[in-house]
Amino acid sequence: MADKITLFVNGVEVEVESGKNLIDAVAAAGIEIPHLCYHPALGADGNCRMCLVGIEDGRPPLVPACKTPAQAGMKVLLDAAHIKKIQHDVMEFELINHPIDCPICDQAGECKLQDYYMTYHGQPSRMTVPQVQKSKKLDFGCGVVHDQERCVTCGRCVRFCRQITKTGELGIVNRSDQARVTIFPGRPLNNRYALNVVDLCPVGAMTSRDFRFQQRVWFLKKSPGICHGCSKGCNIVIDHHREKYADDRIYRFRPRLNLQVNGYFICDEGRLSYRRENEGRLTVARIGGQPAAVADALAACRDELQRAQKVVVLLSPSCSLEQMLAAREWAARHGAILSGFSDGYLKPGDGDGYLIQDDKSANRAGLLLLGIDCRRETFLAALAEAQLLINCDNELERSFPLEELQQLLMGIRTILATSHDSPCAATADIAVPVASFSEYDGAVVNCDGILQCFRKAVGKNEPLPDMADFIAALDGTAADRAGLFTALAALIPALAGQSADTVPAQGLKLNENEAAHVSA
Amino acid sequence: MGATVKTLPRKGASLKERLYLIEIVKGMATTFGHFFRNLLDNRRLYVRHYPEVQPEIPVRWRGRHRLTTHEDGTVKCVACFMCQTNCPANCIQITAGERLDGRTEKMPVKFTIDLLECIYCGYCVEACPLDAIRMDTGIFSVTGDKRSSFVLELSDLLATKGAFAEEDYKKGGA
Repeated sequence: MADKITLFVNGVEVEVESGKNLIDAVAAAGIEIPHLCYHPALGADGNCRMCLVGIEDGRPPLVPACKTPAQAGMKVLLDAAHIKKIQHDVMEFELINHPIDCPICDQAGECKLQDYYMTYHGQPSRMTVPQVQKSKKLDFGCGVVHDQERCVTCGRCVRFCRQITKTGELGIVNRSDQARVTIFPGRPLNNRYALNVVDLCPVGAMTSRDFRFQQRVWFLKKSPGICHGCSKGCNIVIDHHREKYADDRIYRFRPRLNLQVNGYFICDEGRLSYRRENEGRLTVARIGGQPAAVADALAACRDELQRAQKVVVLLSPSCSLEQMLAAREWAARHGAILSGFSDGYLKPGDGDGYLIQDDKSANRAGLLLLGIDCRRETFLAALAEAQLLINCDNELERSFPLEELQQLLMGIRTILATSHDSPCAATADIAVPVASFSEYDGAVVNCDGILQCFRKAVGKNEPLPDMADFIAALDGTAADRAGLFTALAALIPALAGQSADTVPAQGLKLNENEAAHVSA
Repeated sequence: MGATVKTLPRKGASLKERLYLIEIVKGMATTFGHFFRNLLDNRRLYVRHYPEVQPEIPVRWRGRHRLTTHEDGTVKCVACFMCQTNCPANCIQITAGERLDGRTEKMPVKFTIDLLECIYCGYCVEACPLDAIRMDTGIFSVTGDKRSSFVLELSDLLATKGAFAEEDYKKGGA
């Protein structure tokens, strides 16, 4: 924890952390210094001049807050007439050539220029000369659409491509009112984090082709979540909305700040993985390929269990810890063999050492933590003797080619509980639809051993059962979620005394020796 | 200051009134008077001959909605969702799409107003930044034989023209 220092803002004493710049330091105390070009992940650039503050008895008397470290005893002036005049004039300057096409701009509602105009300016334009015309709707690649007229040339996108992805596709060319952000001819954005410039852009100059015109942002409900695209477990905001007469639908994922996990950004693949939550879902149960009610399918599952002697339960490495524990307890009670075999989720060489990981599952560390066998040999050996396979959303077609899979499952009855329709769901004897990760509460452990809890974000019109509900329904009971979490807390020392609500937002770092402790 | 008390005589207490039949005959005389007068000459009827005679609708009257167009026939609406946001009855549903006619970038691909839910408050017209939605069709009577016939689509909204001259509409405070 950094040291605390005291300084004065508008004559009021404020205690802030030392070692930060003025914007971040006083923001923690709830005082906003307006800024366009500064971003904590990209550092200070000092080009927008919006954050100019006065320093009483200081030399120089006017400083950009983004480039000024907070110092003890500093007397910061924010509401003095000359500072307000600066903010007002900078806003007027930024708006000289701004097209003010808020009605058709996707950023409207979360636009810094809009917010600051309302707070610091609020005057009609005094310009009498025609505005400078620039290019609009430029395709920058990677699904980024750029509007040069809306741009305030803060350079956040340029710095992102230079400092974070180190690809440097973007640059600012020309000077003064002809300055514009552009790509090099024929060399569009080409990195796996490009869509972050859309979030970084304080105005509507960078928009996402995917989200373009899909929804106005003020309609969207913003729920926190954890991306299940890979084992990094990036923190995301799930923006979803239920339109009239329609079902709750996700419109986009956005990164959510967690310095311990993903920082300020997420990868494009994870960002666009929201589509999988909306599309290709299994919504009706199937018995022998024919649509059936979920209750009938669960009854059919219980009949199958009566007949089968040797049962194998296969878990998905993306299941939550609660679901894994429910399956482990169920398997122990019924003498079934439990496997977490999921080699197909690994894509060696795909990771980049930053956010993207080789492992495309969200909770493999959880499988290991609960001591569930993930080896190929044991799974195949168990399958050779099995009469019934209960597959908990493990996409086996990732691990085996389809023909091989069919041979493997020859003569074995299969029950598949899955959130998504797949070739496996089409051929399974019984397929039961279950909720996907945006629709249930749970906890996952990421590749760095950080345990994170997430909450149900999307409430479908016809909610599907959670995997833990499905497992409990095999016994004809209901899942005891609180009990599952208590059982987890008993297994994992770091969780002792915690509830799903008290786990810190940035996640719990599990100790190195904790995995050994649990499986013992 | 005390309240002024005015005592009104109670009617119907006299013998003639309490006999009842005399009053009935007097009342029927009035009724039949109107009946025969209208039967002989209905031009002097006290009610409007609706629907042959339509009421005069003032310019500021909020009738059924329409979407306006530019001179070249392209839709003025840019699908900014201001009307949908402002609608207290939540009767407007818009789906936006890419605009390819050279004017700006965005336009509605679907624009539906459910007239059964609309409360004709006119907030959509007030909210519109582009004068793209108006309630100046003068249509006050919307009829249909099924629910779906009350849901106006984009084409319905564009097909109706305004009932008033442009300058009269502007004079009305728009």
